[in-house]
Amino acid sequence: MSEIYDIGYRHYDGPRLGRAHTTLALGVHSLRGVFGLGRPARSKIMPFSLAAVMMFPVVVSIAMMALVQQRLGDYSGYAVVMQAVIAIFLASQSPTVVAPDLRHRVLPLYLSRPVTIAEYVGAKVAAMTVAMFLLVAVPLTVMFIGDLLVDLPGPPPTGEYLGAVAMAAVLSVLLSTIGLALAALTPRRGLGVASVITVYLLSTGAAPMIFAALYSTGHDAAAAWAWLINPFWLVDAVQAGLFGTTQHIPEGSYPGGPVPALIVLALIAAAVAVLAARYRKAAAQ
Amino acid sequence: MHILAIEGLTKRFPTVTALDRLTVTAGPGVTGLVGANGAGKSTLIKILLGLLPVSEGRATVLGLDAFTQGAEIRRLVGYMPEHECLPPDVSATELVVHLARMSGLPRTAARERAADVLRHVGLAEERYRPIGGYSTGMKQRVKLAQALVHDPKLIFLDEPTNGLDPRGRDEMLTLIRRIGTEFGISVLVTSHLLGELERVCDHVIVIDAGRLLRSSALTEFTQATESITVEVEEGADALAGRLAELGQTVSPLGRTLLVEVRGPETYDAVRDAAADLDLCLIRLEQGRQRIEDVFREEAARV
Repeated sequence: MSEIYDIGYRHYDGPRLGRAHTTLALGVHSLRGVFGLGRPARSKIMPFSLAAVMMFPVVVSIAMMALVQQRLGDYSGYAVVMQAVIAIFLASQSPTVVAPDLRHRVLPLYLSRPVTIAEYVGAKVAAMTVAMFLLVAVPLTVMFIGDLLVDLPGPPPTGEYLGAVAMAAVLSVLLSTIGLALAALTPRRGLGVASVITVYLLSTGAAPMIFAALYSTGHDAAAAWAWLINPFWLVDAVQAGLFGTTQHIPEGSYPGGPVPALIVLALIAAAVAVLAARYRKAAAQ
Repeated sequence: MHILAIEGLTKRFPTVTALDRLTVTAGPGVTGLVGANGAGKSTLIKILLGLLPVSEGRATVLGLDAFTQGAEIRRLVGYMPEHECLPPDVSATELVVHLARMSGLPRTAARERAADVLRHVGLAEERYRPIGGYSTGMKQRVKLAQALVHDPKLIFLDEPTNGLDPRGRDEMLTLIRRIGTEFGISVLVTSHLLGELERVCDHVIVIDAGRLLRSSALTEFTQATESITVEVEEGADALAGRLAELGQTVSPLGRTLLVEVRGPETYDAVRDAAADLDLCLIRLEQGRQRIEDVFREEAARV
């Protein structure tokens, strides 16, 4: 405890910024946290290696377009093909956004400031949504730029690319609200990771099984609904309904109409309600 | 001007009444809020921060209504919680800068203020290391720094000396006194030990089971309750006997003795008794008196 620094206490009379500023600062801070920026090196390994894996098909696709004048896959199916990687990213990173503040009871330090609980949760959801969107939309965009540069015969698939980016935004909101709601239910990071990945595996495993069971017993119409259990296929169904893109499922077809989109909205609303209830309880402690 | 004005404040939880028609005011300076565990101290602070609705009554902080102007209050006050509230994987600097920004400070101002307050609370080079490796004393300093970083008009310190060793306790109390005087920031500090607050407070409020027991300037307290704590390596019993022979009022308190101060002669008696018995005196301290004594006194008066 050196005394040479002691120049007395100085008051602060500079600007004090409003809520928009604090919420934005919290969102940026959380987004940096998702990618491990400003954290030790080991926090960066998982998000950046998964982001690198997401780029892998992009590199292969551009190479194929340049060398054999052929696309590897379509833009609209990218999220479905890469769903395991996206789900692992969600599972591994959403607990880092919410668990430490709950586990170490940091929340009172925020709530004793002008930050409200709604702004806090909103900033966290926004940060995770932006992270998921970047994970999906950046590779799509790089692939599209490559597509334009290679200049294959025929018009560029601009419409499909834009549709895929819009759907990436929808998918990001859906996944991040569900992921954060699951992760916020347990203050332990490991359990958060496990619960998100379990829900994903169950939904992925259950969809084809239920489909097969219903299809083989002749309930073809009911079987179509089974695919919507998995969030990636659910959003793919919305995309197919809106833009008429290919249905990226092993067999059968999605039910049409507005119902898949309504399910997406209902799931987002339910996840937000769970988050609100969880944080109302945490704030009262 | 009143920093705090509380009128008929009642807070009922489903099973307990935490505050029961509490009416009290506090002026600028350092105010101690004393009460046993569960007396309602932490509940009162949460209400004053505008974070907890009340059942009845009203409270104003810095002239702002705690129920309708909570956000404005939280802009002007700092809060150091009683419990552990620090994430272990970030450094003190990062945390305090971040929380300064959460109070609305721009990025560069947040950095400057964080460096300033961390220096004032006595965290040197270690402020760049993750908090997980800090001692309890260092963690308490970080908690205090985050409450000060936005230069509040008033800070609420909830049991700041909890878990500290005697030296850490003394340093924390000195720091609190400096905040109230040198820094010019009003302080509301809670403790379950009246004795330690006596050294730093201008005014003390005692509550028990959510009710006001007493609110008075410190001088009135010390007149009524002055005592010293004496600790010897061994032979406490012999010392107690000798002091009693010398006409002092002695009561054992764990390994220490509590001696009532009659005047300067009490100190002389302790010195002489220890010297005569050839005892090793390791602590002679003013007024670490337990809150129970005030309660007993109050009960006797009723």
